Amino acid sequence: MNKTPERIERLAAEYVLGSLHGPARKRFESWMMESAKVREEVWFWERKFGLLPGEVPEVMPPPSVWSSIERRLWPVESPAGKAQSRANQRWFWPSWSILATAAALVMAVVLMQPEPQSSRAQFSGAIVQADTKDPLWLVSETGQGNLLKLRSVAASAAEAGKDYELWIVPENGQPLSLGVIPVGGLHQVTLTDTARQALSQSRTLAISLEPVGGSPTGKPTGPILHVAKLYEL
Amino acid sequence: MVTSNSEQDELMGLLIAVSREDRQAFQQLYEKISGRMFGLCLKLGSQQELAEEALQDAFIQIWHRAAEYHSDRGAPLSWMMTIARYRTLDLMRSRKAKQTSGDSQLEHVEDQREGPLDVSLRSAGTAELTGCFDELSDVQRDSILLSYYRGFTHDEVSEALSSPIGTVKSWIRRGLMVLKRCLER
Repeated sequence: MNKTPERIERLAAEYVLGSLHGPARKRFESWMMESAKVREEVWFWERKFGLLPGEVPEVMPPPSVWSSIERRLWPVESPAGKAQSRANQRWFWPSWSILATAAALVMAVVLMQPEPQSSRAQFSGAIVQADTKDPLWLVSETGQGNLLKLRSVAASAAEAGKDYELWIVPENGQPLSLGVIPVGGLHQVTLTDTARQALSQSRTLAISLEPVGGSPTGKPTGPILHVAKLYEL
Repeated sequence: MVTSNSEQDELMGLLIAVSREDRQAFQQLYEKISGRMFGLCLKLGSQQELAEEALQDAFIQIWHRAAEYHSDRGAPLSWMMTIARYRTLDLMRSRKAKQTSGDSQLEHVEDQREGPLDVSLRSAGTAELTGCFDELSDVQRDSILLSYYRGFTHDEVSEALSSPIGTVKSWIRRGLMVLKRCLER
């Protein structure tokens, strides 16, 4: 088939749209490999049609998708293996996010409604665990007095001799401790202005397992158990 | 797509880091765009399991192909969404080829009161592609959007719009050329 400009133009559009099928699609792909002009024509449509998905509603995929991606890309380092070696290692902060998600524990979801008296953006979210139906803790900000509330839902007590410690993970720099958090009931933490600002930028909280009373060094020392991204309401 | 320049810059930075095999950047990229991408895969594929597989495959391609990205391919987000879209369409096609009878997707279409194309998507094209969809006839626009959002074959569009396949093919071809002339202006 001759590669006339008109034909290239028409087939490129149909290729990107997806309506070019079967052998015709395969043949066109080989044209793309051979000709820069054909590729440019395809890219034109990819740029234009690439704008359309912005109108499709967002849907959070289940956490298992990310675990599968990691398993397929890096099969040697299974999440279980990582979790085990992690427990024996000193905290290595820069990789918190990979470690935490490798443990396949965490996904943040919006569960709270905004409180009506608020006049500025508030944060809300949940600390959840893949194999537990209910969230472990629900997190919400009151919008008044810089209070962050944690409501314990399905969290279970830390192992003997240990406490859970809550951290703000800033975009840059060391995590900021928000202190030890109890299991059961409602726990409130007052955020300093610095903490509030760090949280409003990163919207990320983490929970680590520490000796009773919290980290002795001011930095996380135990394994990270959960990382949750909060949402602005 | 509704994204700010600063977000595109951020995604660009992450893609560059991913091309250098930075796993942390890869995870940040996933956290940033997987919701939007999964929404698209789900819309196209109409099946949770297929959409999950497409999302996985798309991110694996992004990991391996990040270095191939360049600005002629559109904004970083458009490029990644295009990868996800192609992968979803591939999976849909390979599964359709295996189906021996019936077509669940078309049955699904017939059940929808609003018709096969959501009203929101019908108007969406207009806003996003700078009004060029306005220059198309209703049937041209709908057959293009059905192909785009639902991955419909010509046969399926023909059934959904109760029109002969030859007519549908010409709506799509002519519609695309009208769009192109408009977008080039």
